[in-house]
Amino acid sequence: MRKKLSIVLIVATCCIAIFGFIVYNKPPLYHSQSYVFGTLVDISIYGEPEDRAKSLSNEIMQDFQHLHHQLHAWKPASENQISELGALNLAFASQSKPINISPLIVEILQDATKLSKQSNDLFNPTIGHLIGTWGFQADEFAATSIDNQKIAALIKANPTMDDIVVANNTAYSTNSSVKLDLGGYAKGYALDRAARYLRKQHVKHALINIGGNIIALGQHGDKPWRVGIQHPRKPSAIATLDLPDGWAIGTSGDYQRYFMLDGKRYCHIIDPRTGYPVDHTQAVTVLIPPQAPDHSQAGVLSDVASKPIFIEPAENKPKIADAMGIKYLMVINQSSQVFVTPEMQNKLTWLDQDFKKRAHVQPTTQH
Amino acid sequence: MLAGDWLIVIASSVLVIFLFQHLWSHEHATTVQIRLDDTVYGTYSLNQQRDIHVNGTLGKATISIINGKARFSQSPCHNQYCVHQGWLSRSGQAAICLPNQLSLELIGETKHYDSLNY
Amino acid sequence: MQINTTINDHRIAKLAAFAIALHMLEAVIPSPLPGVKPGIANIVTLYVLFKYDFSSAAWVSMLRVFASSLLLGQFLSPTFILSLAGALLSLCVLWLSMHLPRKYFGAVSLSILAAFAHIAGQLMIVRLWLIPHASVAYLIPIFALAALFFGVINGLITHQLLNNNLETKLENKTDSASSTAT
Repeated sequence: MRKKLSIVLIVATCCIAIFGFIVYNKPPLYHSQSYVFGTLVDISIYGEPEDRAKSLSNEIMQDFQHLHHQLHAWKPASENQISELGALNLAFASQSKPINISPLIVEILQDATKLSKQSNDLFNPTIGHLIGTWGFQADEFAATSIDNQKIAALIKANPTMDDIVVANNTAYSTNSSVKLDLGGYAKGYALDRAARYLRKQHVKHALINIGGNIIALGQHGDKPWRVGIQHPRKPSAIATLDLPDGWAIGTSGDYQRYFMLDGKRYCHIIDPRTGYPVDHTQAVTVLIPPQAPDHSQAGVLSDVASKPIFIEPAENKPKIADAMGIKYLMVINQSSQVFVTPEMQNKLTWLDQDFKKRAHVQPTTQH
Repeated sequence: MLAGDWLIVIASSVLVIFLFQHLWSHEHATTVQIRLDDTVYGTYSLNQQRDIHVNGTLGKATISIINGKARFSQSPCHNQYCVHQGWLSRSGQAAICLPNQLSLELIGETKHYDSLNY
Repeated sequence: MQINTTINDHRIAKLAAFAIALHMLEAVIPSPLPGVKPGIANIVTLYVLFKYDFSSAAWVSMLRVFASSLLLGQFLSPTFILSLAGALLSLCVLWLSMHLPRKYFGAVSLSILAAFAHIAGQLMIVRLWLIPHASVAYLIPIFALAALFFGVINGLITHQLLNNNLETKLENKTDSASSTAT
């Protein structure tokens, strides 16, 4: 009797031990952080052995570094070598003959042109000169004095994506005021690129965060990846949501890059119609479901789509959100009022009780 | 119920109350993790009062810890966003200094999310 | 096939069957809070420990865990591992705490201690395997409160049963039931 009991207990303990071993062997979460792309990149990989996860994230970080050198609008890759985009901008400025561009730039220019059209030119990556005038094209920018005349002249020159002509892997511009700045596109593009790479490497579960824009692959164990949304004025999260496989999230905020001058906040998001920073909105968050293969991808949309919505005043926001195909949307205006679409409301779990009380549910299409 | 039973009931009640207080005052972070570029510079308990000086990419920054809170108190960067972030006290809160490639994250028993959208 | 069985085996089988029935009953009754269950089957384990000895209690407990999971079709599933881990750890604690002086520490004490061991074992599995997330810590106080509450209730029930000598009544009942069936 006692002997048999000990056998039962040994079997039971073995059951636990076997499961313990399985658990122990299951690779945990690998997390790595790096400053590339002029911002903080944060990669989490779940369910891969640690050394593989490590080499994959290093691979991605290096690719980002490489991409950064190609796409940087204002910093030379090294002292005597400018980025491919820099060279293109020089050619545009001097109205030279068409110059050769890489397939990467061709792809980006075509996609950006399409998105620019879709947004009524509110997403306009050709206003590099304007952004430079405001001083946002520097790692360390200062409160500048505002040069109203220069701004007026740049608005009059009216650079748009339509001025750029791409043919046979070459490009030229019909307008010398065109200066590409992919600041609102490159991070999203890099997200899609990293997600594509990881899927190709058969990584099932990962979360990539480039300067706040996030894309999810698979999930975190048996739960979806969960992301927090930053409070525009405090160092905490206002809400969390689950990011399913292939979904991306992006926020445009007046708190990301800004300077204060005479007590007024000037943020880095500039209305291309007026040439001045937007002052009526604190933050716009968009959530993007997976897209069809021949469309702009979720990462790019998470970066691009929030900007036109940020720029338009409150009354036009639903319309532009519709034009950009955005259903999951949260807007925080300058008086800290929160507007969310019903779709977004269903996804959100509020952490900040003030915001929860102040949130107004509003569909994008107002009939 | 015997005397010992009462003892066990009281002891367990105290344990349950302690668990509630400890794990449900949740957002109280216990440590701050400082990251410099792509490495963890150090993890420090929040139950102390001290200043930590870290040599970032730009220069020396000071991180202060007082009674369960932490903040950037001095930074060589131009915009001082990191310093303006102020005190961090809840688990999951973070402050990042991009120019100096330095970040703080508070770590506690619970974490509400895997990554932050900002 | 002939297996030689003793009176002791019969008793264990009968009590284990009773424990399995309680376990199954609990499995089908929905709980308001997922994971929080009264653990009434533990009453049988405790009862056996007091009335007979530790090895009988361990038999009853193990038979209950294995047989219930087979009957519910959960064998080797997460639910089974959870229940096994809880039962094993609570047996360990019972073995230790049965050496406490009986004069002061009765069924209620052991019931509470076993209940805490039960949730501790389960939460360890949850944390390590099922939800490798620190957020599990958030649930610990709720489970601990439930363990305390049901530990006391189950302990008091066991105490009553021991005083009322339930087994003899049960025996009479099953005898009468079998006689009516024939």
